[in-house]
Amino acid sequence: MIPRAIKRLFHQASIGDQSYRFLFEPGPADEVVAIDCETTGLNVRTDDIIAVAAIKIRGNRILTSEHFEAVVRPDADMRAEGIKVHRLLRADVAQSPFIRKVLPSLLHFIGGRPLVGYYVDFDIAMVDKYVLPFIEIELPNRRIEVSKLYYERKYGDAPANTVVDLSFAAMLKDLGIPLLAQHDAFNDALMTAMMYVALRDLKERGVRIARARSHAAVFNPTGA
Amino acid sequence: MPSAFDATNPPFDRLTSQEVETLRAALDIAYFRPGETVIAQNAAANALFVIIKGTIEERDGNDLLALLGPKDSFDSRALVHGKSGHAFVAREETLCYIAPKNLTLGLIQSNPRFASFFYREISQKLDELVRDEEERRYGSLMRARVAELFLHPPTFIDASDTIEAAGHLMREIDSNALFVRDGERIGIITGMNLSKAVVLRRLAIETPVRALAHFDVVTLRPDDFVSSALVLMTKRNKRRVAVHDGERYVGILEDIDLLGFLAGSAQVVAGRIDRASSKDDLMIAARETAAQVRTLRRQGVKVEVIGEVVSDLNGHLFSRLFEMVAPAEIRTSGCLIVMGSEGRGEQTVRTDQDNGLILAGPVDQAALDAFRSDFSGALAEFGFPPCPGNVMVRNPVWSKPLSDYLSDFRRWVTLPDDMAHINVAIFYDARAVAGDAQLLATAKANLIDLIRGEQAYLAHFARAVDAFATPIGLFNKLVTSEGKGDALDLKKGGIFPIVHGTRSLAIEHSLMETATDKRIARLREIGVLQPDFARELSETLRFLLTLRLDGQLAASGGISGTLVRPSLLSSMERDLLRDAFQVVKQFRGIIRHHFNLGMF
Repeated sequence: MIPRAIKRLFHQASIGDQSYRFLFEPGPADEVVAIDCETTGLNVRTDDIIAVAAIKIRGNRILTSEHFEAVVRPDADMRAEGIKVHRLLRADVAQSPFIRKVLPSLLHFIGGRPLVGYYVDFDIAMVDKYVLPFIEIELPNRRIEVSKLYYERKYGDAPANTVVDLSFAAMLKDLGIPLLAQHDAFNDALMTAMMYVALRDLKERGVRIARARSHAAVFNPTGA
Repeated sequence: MPSAFDATNPPFDRLTSQEVETLRAALDIAYFRPGETVIAQNAAANALFVIIKGTIEERDGNDLLALLGPKDSFDSRALVHGKSGHAFVAREETLCYIAPKNLTLGLIQSNPRFASFFYREISQKLDELVRDEEERRYGSLMRARVAELFLHPPTFIDASDTIEAAGHLMREIDSNALFVRDGERIGIITGMNLSKAVVLRRLAIETPVRALAHFDVVTLRPDDFVSSALVLMTKRNKRRVAVHDGERYVGILEDIDLLGFLAGSAQVVAGRIDRASSKDDLMIAARETAAQVRTLRRQGVKVEVIGEVVSDLNGHLFSRLFEMVAPAEIRTSGCLIVMGSEGRGEQTVRTDQDNGLILAGPVDQAALDAFRSDFSGALAEFGFPPCPGNVMVRNPVWSKPLSDYLSDFRRWVTLPDDMAHINVAIFYDARAVAGDAQLLATAKANLIDLIRGEQAYLAHFARAVDAFATPIGLFNKLVTSEGKGDALDLKKGGIFPIVHGTRSLAIEHSLMETATDKRIARLREIGVLQPDFARELSETLRFLLTLRLDGQLAASGGISGTLVRPSLLSSMERDLLRDAFQVVKQFRGIIRHHFNLGMF
């Protein structure tokens, strides 16, 4: 694996379309973008994006009124398992544009802003798959992983054998955020954004998330 | 475009689907950390906030007025009037939808039903609520079940029995229809069938009823809707249908009872009371009076009208019982009165006995003693629980000659203690239900004369408005504990201060009205209360009484219906409840200032 910083330098030089140089410039201060992709499966090489949503966050405001959302037509055939997860049927996406058509507006929407996501590396890898042939770079944006922020708040000071639960559901529950209909790119990005603003505030105030005491690892001294 | 934004939550449920889409497209979401001010006191707001998660405190300086939770929105005043009298502060980590000010104001202008939510006047909001909630909560009468209707109990006669036997049986059971058993077949025969057979077909009264019965019986199930019964009767042109629960016949539904149910049958009950010839008859009527409340509420009848109907029916009942139980001497020289909430006509669900007897002069002691225990005992049997304060005919203190009452009044007014104040309050609310009403009028006029101009006495009397705190504290608990919070005492927190404050002003101005809303109307006419405020006060009282009645009906025979769990209310009702308590608070302020209670 080539370290990301070096890759970034390389891409800055190798960029195929100079008009996208803005991706390397820092975005407006205090703005980030929450991003989520729905895909035909979990394999970056063989699966495709079928929906992508991005929402700007400015300070403590989630700008849902200025969001990006697109349903796109996958290159490969959609797989049955994928359909089950996101419920977008072939017919729904058949009328949609190919991702190449929406990519420019997505890139202009996110600009140089850091990207916030839940397992954000996967989402960005999926987007990169299309960006690379398009302008010969991978997205250089800084990445913010909400599960990492959550881990720091909840398990940062945990003893070694603590059971760690970084599931989306567990995070929503701890932060008291309502569960919206899932596997809709916009709702997933929105829940991620809400978790991000809450976690960032907890971090600034040095507040930790309480851990439930785990009895699982403790053996019963009575032998019963 | 958060599709997750819940547009079924009032007031957004009044928006058209197109308006909802416009709103959704413009929504942002804001995060507030604990202690962060969302709207400062007296500041303008540039948006309407709707809570997604967390808790917002509504504050007036250091006073915590309310806690707002998910789906609550704030603050209409800051938005419409350009400034909020209250501050809104996040109590915990809170996420809110932000609806931009211009867009919300646009919706207010284009959609009057949505706009009414933002009007300052509680009375207007209340009108809206009544229209919206009535249907939702009670459904229409048509969605009542057949089992809720009066059914004639099923009585069977054999097909070989005679017309004469059928006629006698009908008279005996006071019903116009019988089931006819003919082997396996079941049919119905009506009084009209019998008459036609005898009069028109000149059949002998010894003829077996088999030939006259109809065996094409139309049946309904007890859980069928009332609307189906109506349709069935119309379509098949039947005046009676049999009700069958799948195993057996449980009764016969007659069109007259169905119509009575739909039209309200308070008159029917009143008639039954007046015709009653025994205490047993009265007991049945008393039970029907209780059932009327639910029916009337279902029909969407306003709570003050229900109160009037019920106290009228109870009045009939007391009066009829008085006629049955009281010896002639007491009937002619006495006046039976009801007091307290029964006197004001504000009691809707079965009430304590709050009654008394005023006699023109001394009567035979033995007859009086017998009457006292007979009357109170009969009411207890009818289901009127004895009054905990023993304000009953049974108690000699409340059944005695007028002159004895008058000396009581002098003692109550010159040497007032808490008990004396309570006695004045309940007697001032008294209403005559039987006997010589002039006795009560004389007594009241004397009481009012004694009090007129006694400002110090009136101040002591009025002071009870501050006996119970406005239950904002309890309300508070509710939201923090996420809906499991304590119930709220509507009577102590809202109804009592309004009733007693109004009573204090009324007695000061020598009013003879007993009902609180009539007293408020009179106080407005003579300029004691501002017209706008008088209207808000009446509406607030009506709203609180309605909530109490709904609580009582929901608890269905439960002990106290004065407790309301705010967690069970819609957010619209909670919003109104907050407004209502604001009005109560304001009224207390008026009473305190008027009677100069600051001196205590």
